[in-house]
Amino acid sequence: MTGAARIRLAVWAVLIITIALDAHPAWSQLGPFGGPRPPAIGGVAGWVLAEQAVFYRALSGSIRLAKSDGSALWTLMGISFVYGIFHAAGPGHGKAVISSYLFANDETWRRGVTLSFASAVMQSLTAILIVGVGAVLLGATAKLMGDTVKDIDIVSYGLIVLLGARLLWVKGYGFFGALNKLGTDSASRAAGLERHAHNDTNCHHHHDRDHAHGFRCDKVHHADDVSQHDDRHCHDHHDGEELDVLPWGHAHGPEPEELAGPGGWHRGLSALVAVGLRPCSGAIIVLVFALAQGLFWAGVASTFVMGLGTAITVGTIATLAVSAKALAKRVAHKPTGYGGLVVRGVEFGAAGLVFAFGILLLTGYMASERMGLF
Amino acid sequence: MHHIRARHWIGILLSLLAYAGVTTGAAEAHPHVWVTMTTELLYAPDGSVTGVRHAWTFDDMFSAYATMGIPAATKGHFTREELRPLAQVNVDSLKEYAYFTYAWINGRREKKAFNDPVDYWLDYDPGKTVLTLHFTLPFKAPVPGKQLRIEVYDPEFFIDFQFADQNPVKLVGAPALCAVWTDKPHDDNFLTAQSLNRSFIPSEANVGMGMSFANKIMVQCP
Repeated sequence: MTGAARIRLAVWAVLIITIALDAHPAWSQLGPFGGPRPPAIGGVAGWVLAEQAVFYRALSGSIRLAKSDGSALWTLMGISFVYGIFHAAGPGHGKAVISSYLFANDETWRRGVTLSFASAVMQSLTAILIVGVGAVLLGATAKLMGDTVKDIDIVSYGLIVLLGARLLWVKGYGFFGALNKLGTDSASRAAGLERHAHNDTNCHHHHDRDHAHGFRCDKVHHADDVSQHDDRHCHDHHDGEELDVLPWGHAHGPEPEELAGPGGWHRGLSALVAVGLRPCSGAIIVLVFALAQGLFWAGVASTFVMGLGTAITVGTIATLAVSAKALAKRVAHKPTGYGGLVVRGVEFGAAGLVFAFGILLLTGYMASERMGLF
Repeated sequence: MHHIRARHWIGILLSLLAYAGVTTGAAEAHPHVWVTMTTELLYAPDGSVTGVRHAWTFDDMFSAYATMGIPAATKGHFTREELRPLAQVNVDSLKEYAYFTYAWINGRREKKAFNDPVDYWLDYDPGKTVLTLHFTLPFKAPVPGKQLRIEVYDPEFFIDFQFADQNPVKLVGAPALCAVWTDKPHDDNFLTAQSLNRSFIPSEANVGMGMSFANKIMVQCP
């Protein structure tokens, strides 16, 4: 790593930490247990919450106004967009699951951002479908609709558990495999074997620079092969491709052909469905209100614009997760192999988080969204 | 044997922190229901408090959501009778959330201070298109009225409770010279109110998001 690259990395690290801390008011406001409670919620969270209330009211106001004044529709779209951005800055398991998923896997930021947008679109579609079929066609009551959303929740949370379980299996395999490998590797080193030369030939890899290979790629790749079908093998990397092959034998970096290629989306699809299935309560309420005002289509447009705003926030968070992961990997990118092991462990941990989110949501210990009094 | 340099660890740690910051942002909250409330404290002739009577007015969007699919004889006008089943659903599901009403009795926060609600109904205002839920929470046993503190909030903050601007709290049948303080988190005078009630607050580890938004009523009677 050159000196300039190190500085760039350091700047990135500081940026990410700052943003992360700022985005998390609890860290700056947490009082000691049993100590005096924090006073009014201030800072970023208080501002976000206050703004949400303002926008929420402006939202209903502009829908009302649109009945008599068509130009209010533009106001409605503007408000919906900003509300979507703020809304996603609040809680939501989607954000947590997507960023953990991205952290556990080696995903490109493009994939992360696309996943965020796709899940936001899907959430909008489910909300429109539920209100369209439930309220418009069937004349359902709020209780019936709330119960339907609850059922969808359970399916969605169940999918998150499955996604987490699969990730745990995959990443556990990689982590414990690397752990074993490290043991044998150290033993070999003690025996005076020079591994590095072997690695490059094993992989048919001719990227020099500072890529060091602590493990034998073929063996390590075996782990990924079992788990993720579209992970490439070392010998698939032909010249011309810009790849970083890290000690744990994983390829990363934006590769458009991989993103677009057949099978490239299979990995993300499970995360997309698990997260996107659950409609946003806010969108459902706005849709029903628009329907009551006789402006259902304005509600539909508002829902999509809101989804766009949400996607921007979640996409930013996804980018942060991908950057943090890339940072961890680059910092750990050392010939010792321990760094690789740590990253494997971190991936395993992130997989565990996805699983834990799913279990907590499914058992009701973690509330994602609640419609209120039904 | 190679050793890991401190720099690796610091880098990894920083990345982890950043990651954790991103994912645990879930601690924040966003309400979907706004409630404007007025509350009455009901006193017995002996000066004890027998119950809490709430009137909660929901925002117009939630009111539209709550009333959808309910048949009304006159479109856009719901009678108390037509809303009776909905009121029942409201009251039944509020039980799970302890009616979002917490009483501090003798300096302790009682989780189950109330019996099931009585005298509950819903009113609909066709002009403002908003629903108001009325219900009374009787204390399981009358509570000494000398010093009482009631808090109304949703710990998960999916519902944003706010006192009405005008006369948010009424004491019904209270002895003379009782003093009432309300503490509104949305109020500019919040800090003053905060210092005022400090003596009331025993330490409590349960610090939740919604709690910072608690609407507090404090009453002191002679």
